[in-house]
Amino acid sequence: MTVPVVGSGLNLARRATSAAADVAGRAALAGLDALLDSEFTDEAVKRVLASPVADRAVGHALRGPLVDAIARDITRYAVLERVADELVADEAEIERVVGSALESPVVERVAAQVIESRLLDTIVERLLETEELWLMVDEIAHSPAVTDAIGQQSMGFADQVAGQVRVRSQRADARLERVAHRLLRRPQRPTGG
Amino acid sequence: MTEAESSPAYAGAVTRALAFAVDAAIVDLTGIFVGVVVGLALSVLKTPDKVDHVLLAIGAVAFVVWTIAYFVGFWSSTGQTPGNRLMHIRVRSSSDEGLLRPRWAFLRLVGLGLAALPLLLGFLPMLLTERRRGLQDLLGRSVVVYVGAQAASLMEPSSRPASRALTTASAREDAPSLR
Repeated sequence: MTVPVVGSGLNLARRATSAAADVAGRAALAGLDALLDSEFTDEAVKRVLASPVADRAVGHALRGPLVDAIARDITRYAVLERVADELVADEAEIERVVGSALESPVVERVAAQVIESRLLDTIVERLLETEELWLMVDEIAHSPAVTDAIGQQSMGFADQVAGQVRVRSQRADARLERVAHRLLRRPQRPTGG
Repeated sequence: MTEAESSPAYAGAVTRALAFAVDAAIVDLTGIFVGVVVGLALSVLKTPDKVDHVLLAIGAVAFVVWTIAYFVGFWSSTGQTPGNRLMHIRVRSSSDEGLLRPRWAFLRLVGLGLAALPLLLGFLPMLLTERRRGLQDLLGRSVVVYVGAQAASLMEPSSRPASRALTTASAREDAPSLR
């Protein structure tokens, strides 16, 4: 008889606790909503972010294992791939973004600075010193495409010379015939090319 | 199509001389090369003088045969020697647009030699006749015409050469003096 009574009592107490926790949770959420709606909240957040505390918090976060965990999760959940897929799916948007980026004066200034900088000269100098570059140049120079192009260029020049010889020989034909006709007192042919 | 549009543009003496010079260079250089090779070989073999004379005679005959084969072969097969091809001209029958038959090509070659004998006077008709035919053309029943872009440029009224205008009467015989 005692055991069922104790059991009922415990059950009642558990329910009462659960109901109290539920009420407390709802009250806390209502308080949070009121806090978020408060006009002082924004100001408070701004002040926190502007304070050295925010700097230190970010520093602690970056020094700690959080970054590693984020990186692992980015890889695990293929975050980058999903973002890339979203970007690639909208080609028009990509073109617009890239176009506006390239047209911006900032990019132009950066490009001008890179070109004028000593860095570019150094890169070119180092590149010219590398053996691989000249091996690649040799490979390209001996490639069938390049040799064919040079051959065609030479043939084109030879054709030009031959063409000039042909044109001049035609003129010489006409001149020679005029002279022959004059010497032999024969009627001249109508003049032309 | 009018007669003027259909008649070809005949090649003149200078153009044909240049083409022939190229051919002569090819024939001669080939002959010289073969002669030098054979001569060098014989210099090692130490052959008797009589044999050398016989080989010399054979070489001379071979050179003549080579020359005949070169010109007759090209004129009767394509109408264009390499020199003709360079100058964009072609040898063809005077009666139609066909190629020369080998016997007429051979006669044309003989005519070339005959035309050169009397101080090149055999070539004079090329300067005077409407179809620019020399003695060799008369013997070989041939004419020499421009081909390809060269002919096309001569067919244009603005660039038509002097002789071109007179070639419209291509069916007529050549100069009366040659009859």
